[in-house]
Amino acid sequence: MSDNGQATFLEQVASLPACEKINECIQCGVCSGSCSTATRWEYPPRKVIAMVRAGMKDELLKSNSIWFCVSCYLCTARCPRDIKPANIIHGLESIALQEGYKPPTKTTTMYRTFAASITDYGRVYEFGFMLKYFLKTNPLAALNMLPLAIGLFSHGRMPLTAKKVKGKDQLNIIINRLSTGGDR
Amino acid sequence: MEPKIGVYICHCGSNIAATVDVEKVAEYARSLPSVVVSRDYKFMCSDPGQDLIKKDIKEMGVNRVVVASCSPQMHEPTFRRAVQEAGLNPYFFEMANIREQCSWVTESRKEATEKAKALVSAAVRRVYFHEPLENKEVPVHPDTLIVGGGIAGIQAALEIANAGHKVYLVEKEPSIGGHMMQLDKTFPTLDCSACILTPKMSMVGAHPMIELLTFSEIDYVSGYVGNFRVKIHKKARSVDATKCNGCGTCMTKCPIKVDSEFDEKLSKRKAIYTPFAQAVPNVPVIDRKHCTYFLKGKCRACEKFCERNAIDFQQEDEILDIEVGNVIITTGYKLFDPSVIKEYGYGRLDNVLTSLEFERMVNSAGPTGGQILLKNGKEPESIAIIHCVGSRDEKYHEYCSRICCMYGMKFAHLLLEHVHGAKVYEFYIDIRSFGKGYEEFYNRVQREGTIFFRGRPGEITDVAQTPEEKGKLIIQFEDTLIGKQRRLPVDMVILCSGIEPQSDAQEIAHKFNISCGKENFFTERHPKLDPVATMTDGIFIAGCCQGPKDIPDTVAQASAAAARVLALINNGKVEIEADTAVIDESKCSGCRVCNLLCPYNAISYIEKDKVSRINEALCKGCGTCVAACPSGAITHRHFTDVQVLAELEGILV
Repeated sequence: MSDNGQATFLEQVASLPACEKINECIQCGVCSGSCSTATRWEYPPRKVIAMVRAGMKDELLKSNSIWFCVSCYLCTARCPRDIKPANIIHGLESIALQEGYKPPTKTTTMYRTFAASITDYGRVYEFGFMLKYFLKTNPLAALNMLPLAIGLFSHGRMPLTAKKVKGKDQLNIIINRLSTGGDR
Repeated sequence: MEPKIGVYICHCGSNIAATVDVEKVAEYARSLPSVVVSRDYKFMCSDPGQDLIKKDIKEMGVNRVVVASCSPQMHEPTFRRAVQEAGLNPYFFEMANIREQCSWVTESRKEATEKAKALVSAAVRRVYFHEPLENKEVPVHPDTLIVGGGIAGIQAALEIANAGHKVYLVEKEPSIGGHMMQLDKTFPTLDCSACILTPKMSMVGAHPMIELLTFSEIDYVSGYVGNFRVKIHKKARSVDATKCNGCGTCMTKCPIKVDSEFDEKLSKRKAIYTPFAQAVPNVPVIDRKHCTYFLKGKCRACEKFCERNAIDFQQEDEILDIEVGNVIITTGYKLFDPSVIKEYGYGRLDNVLTSLEFERMVNSAGPTGGQILLKNGKEPESIAIIHCVGSRDEKYHEYCSRICCMYGMKFAHLLLEHVHGAKVYEFYIDIRSFGKGYEEFYNRVQREGTIFFRGRPGEITDVAQTPEEKGKLIIQFEDTLIGKQRRLPVDMVILCSGIEPQSDAQEIAHKFNISCGKENFFTERHPKLDPVATMTDGIFIAGCCQGPKDIPDTVAQASAAAARVLALINNGKVEIEADTAVIDESKCSGCRVCNLLCPYNAISYIEKDKVSRINEALCKGCGTCVAACPSGAITHRHFTDVQVLAELEGILV
């Protein structure tokens, strides 16, 4: 605990689910070495952990690191100290959003559009979801995707109308519970 | 005789006195039943302290002594000896631990003093009921058994044999030498391993006091310190060692080729073979699992060409029955098999080697005559050496294997020497160069041009992402000192695989009645103060079977174990503590429940008397049988019901 009784950044992160082993990291670099998208991160996964331990909250949550985690879990599978870097990274995403940091990437837009599709239909309506995503970010980019879209559609892989699932209301109860903190 | 108790409260400098009001405790003790004198003193274990006790025994007729001080583990022998010197049976002494169990763990002075009073009261009540007991003496057989003929076993054998005592050295391979024989140069001096080992092997082979039993294993062990009976299984070599002169003709004539274990399967040996040219003894064995004669009844080429008629297909395994006083276990290690680390590609990708495979390759007496070659026969231009493979990893072994940083750097040096213009890269997490000359060696290797990257590689792949990577092995890693993920293409990768205990470690432990730890290394009696002894008297351990270590430490431990054995042999006898269990045979019903429960195999069932009997020398006084006996037939000397209950009363009152 720091002097004013507030939890330090490290304590805050360590208390996230499955993140308590962050103190045991030996900075070996297997996580960064295995990470599928590491070359795009401002600070690769190992550095993210080092920065949490050093209390560099602002620099970290303002950077584009953590937003590029695609949950491939290679880091978690290979960590010699059985730490779960992917959990820590996603936990940091939550903290960033809760505390009002604006992510410098389009990741949250995609996550939110995806989640909206689920709550609306109970499943991902690919055509609608992609359309909404491009309209919110870069409409012209959608044109680049046209050949792919036509290909998918002609192979019957992209229905133009949405289908809702049965029991969508029950699904939404589950989602609401989890969104408001859930049963811990 | 009426018990007259003397109580002595030790200040232990300030260790006890700073927390416990020792004078109050002494005053309290004075009021206890049968206490005739109660004193407090600064250091009871010192000479003047001990003299206080002796004086009171002689002048006041004190015949029971309680010392309230430190743990019995520290000074019970000291005070027992003092009591004995004053003419009293040492078992009339009891210690109250008011330090480790009181002053060191209690903050409040009031509470600590009350607790010390309770502990003293318990000791006083207990000692009232103590009986005079005699330690048992058993003789020590002067012969020694050493299990495992690597450098540790060889060193220990020579130490004991040179002291004039007989040693049986048992080794399961056809020759002694162990892993050290496979190495090329040893760090940090770059001594040629075979050059320093073979003279010792030769001495062992020629020593009149060493009976060398190779191609042999341990079948069964029984007995206790000073008196072990061991059954040794001597496997049939199919060669008469008394006739064979080691000419090697049989090996050249044998048509069957088998992967050579000694060369880590990088070359072939014959079905009749010695594992390497400098084998001791230089007598081949026939591998009956691959020999044509034993499989199909044909061939017999070795027999045809042997000038001495030394081939004996009818030779049978032998069982030897020996008696020894002590045993030293030096079974060594095996290398961690990195095939389980899929992302490193060992076994799947060409040119990924383990450390022992590389040792054989770089060795001038090895399968490539010392040339470093890729699978395609060319020399590599770039080589990556990966540290901590299978070590420091909760998925495989949590421990550090201690030798890999040093041997990894040794490889770098050898590569720069053997391959002109080679680029050598070391991938590490930490550099552990802890020994004499080790840091200087690290410095040297850096000076010679080895490039060090701090970062444990994520994976080794042959999937090229750029034209430069085609046909290479690519190390994907984070260069943590820069903070960027990088890909480095190389020709060859050497994995610094960790070391593990042998796969039969638990079996050996069970045979000799010792324990294995969490990772199957043998458990030493105390990791700092007694690293070569085990909890079983007379059984010692040395070398990598106790834990990963380099050659200097292995040799040191082997000599240490030998010294312990020589001490026992020199004394000629050993004292067994008297607090053992004894069965009242008139009460024993012969149910044999105790037989199975005894963790030390100390209880046997006597068929003709239909009762169980405890071997006092094996009994460690654990009390399990005492508690379990449904007839209440077993008494625990020095821990009788009366004594234990009196002690409890003292605490509670």
